[in-house]
Amino acid sequence: MNEKIEMKDQKTGMGQGHVLDLKLPIGWLLSAYGVLLTVYGLVTKKEMYAISLGLNLNLVWGILMLAIGGGFLLAVFLKKDRAGR
Amino acid sequence: MQPVITLNAVDYAIIGGYILVMIFVGYSLKKYMKTGEDFFLSGRSLPGWITGLAFLSANLGALEVIGMVANSAKYGIATIHFYWVGAIPAMVFLGIFMMPFYYGSRVRTVPEYLKLRYNEATRGLNAISFAIMTVLMSGISLYAMALLFKIMLGWSLTGSILFGAVVVLLYVFWGGLSSSIYNEVIQFFLIWLGLLPIVFLGLKEVGGFAGFVAKLKEPLLHSVKYLGTSNNPLGVDWFGVVMGLGFVLSFGYWTTDFLVVQRALASKNINSARMTPIIAAFPKMLVPIIVVIPGLVALLVLPEFSQSALPTTEYNSALILLMKHYLPNGLLGLAITALLASFMSGMAGNVTAFNTIWTYDIYGSYIKKGKSDSHYLRMGKYATVFGVAISVGTAYIVQSFPNIMDYMQLVFSFFNAPLFATFLLGMFWAGATGWGGFFGLLVGILTAAGHYILYKLGIVHYASDMAANFYQALWAWLADFVVTIGVSLFTAKRDPKELVGLVFGLTPKTKAAARWLARPAVWGILAIVIAIVLNIIFW
Repeated sequence: MNEKIEMKDQKTGMGQGHVLDLKLPIGWLLSAYGVLLTVYGLVTKKEMYAISLGLNLNLVWGILMLAIGGGFLLAVFLKKDRAGR
Repeated sequence: MQPVITLNAVDYAIIGGYILVMIFVGYSLKKYMKTGEDFFLSGRSLPGWITGLAFLSANLGALEVIGMVANSAKYGIATIHFYWVGAIPAMVFLGIFMMPFYYGSRVRTVPEYLKLRYNEATRGLNAISFAIMTVLMSGISLYAMALLFKIMLGWSLTGSILFGAVVVLLYVFWGGLSSSIYNEVIQFFLIWLGLLPIVFLGLKEVGGFAGFVAKLKEPLLHSVKYLGTSNNPLGVDWFGVVMGLGFVLSFGYWTTDFLVVQRALASKNINSARMTPIIAAFPKMLVPIIVVIPGLVALLVLPEFSQSALPTTEYNSALILLMKHYLPNGLLGLAITALLASFMSGMAGNVTAFNTIWTYDIYGSYIKKGKSDSHYLRMGKYATVFGVAISVGTAYIVQSFPNIMDYMQLVFSFFNAPLFATFLLGMFWAGATGWGGFFGLLVGILTAAGHYILYKLGIVHYASDMAANFYQALWAWLADFVVTIGVSLFTAKRDPKELVGLVFGLTPKTKAAARWLARPAVWGILAIVIAIVLNIIFW
């Protein structure tokens, strides 16, 4: 995971202190949560969701979090891609 | 006692994942902490969206969330005053008018500004009271977390205290303010994702806003309509709300508390610094969605809170009971992680503010002056270790005297309320002198303390404790304001040349960003307009 942490602000030579792009840990954490909740939502039975008014909220929320986390990772990927060209 | 909530392996995996990511983030930042500015001010290198979200999260602690859900169950919609009246105007004011002096003068801390603008004594008074206050607050936050997890999940008190302290110590020791800020941004996302399911399910069950209107008592549904008299759920009249909460308490906290201001000082340039509190104002306006709605839902769906229940109901348990009521395992782990994250970031925020004030304003000013930067960086790391150690000690003291917690929070309010008068005069009136500032602040603090004693002895009366708190802030502010002016008229003025960059009117205007979309004033005005519209809708 370490090599994904890129240097920011290389152009200016500034920002020495803070080169960890925060979008990466947020993106990984939310995506991992998303996968975990989606899978858990798929394997659990309907009875468990009586308290959440019959909605399989683990599945719904898992997909949502995967989308948000994926969005952060995509933003980093696109930025790197642009910088690479 | 049986724990309220039972977790399974999936929930624990979610909690564990968060802890691992935090430690990983702290460890990855370690190699970049080369100078004092890196450690204490993130090298002044962060973009506005990060400092803005951290600015908001530093205030969105777990105690705040639990307390505001409780307030909403107790007082209804009127709780929004803490957001749309009690926060937005102050945040916008900080960004537009005050940040040019904080960031522009290159001070590293709030007390340092006081030294440049007033004198050494004013700085000392503020630095020492603030340092004591943050380190005790960090202990309170630690204890509150341990107590909540004991009642909720049956975890051992000592285990939670030590575990929380070690995690926070590790990542602050490695990454300084950056670790703290990064954790706050992650917490921002977790709080929303963790609590929104409760909001959706709650609204679905009660039938949306129409359900509230049909089933709740009328005064709980209006924020302003019933403020004409003090005969409303809050027990405070409109003057107390607007002047006490909206003006003194809110401006005192948002514009002078180093815990929040430090985040803006970590920005990469003056425009980002000014945008920091303004960016934070937009999500701040939405926070009532995750606190007020759950509070109202609790009144309708939880048998413990039915409107015929006894008034002794423990409102602080509302959020926890809602989590138990609605969330299946999995999402439950996510909500618990959100609370855990906000406790930890609350503690980390206090520890980073403490190590900065200690190193720059106390150690570097009174104990060992003029040492090398690497000496102060080392001291900052030691200060982190003993700051955490004192927090653990405080957590144990609070444990044996639970009421101490309320008293400490009260004592801290004595220091915060008058400080805004000192800043207002300092930044906008060149005639305020060093000793004027010092005696104004001192008399302001003593006025707050004196008012509190008179209230407790029953010599002055208010309709509620909240009203007493609002008016106490107002008196303390007024005393500071009047005494600062009075003493300034009789003491030697500063040479105006020394005040350039510190006082409005003597300082050249900061150049506005070229693109009007990047201008703080544009976004600040937008935030104020939206806040006014929201206030009218929920009148």
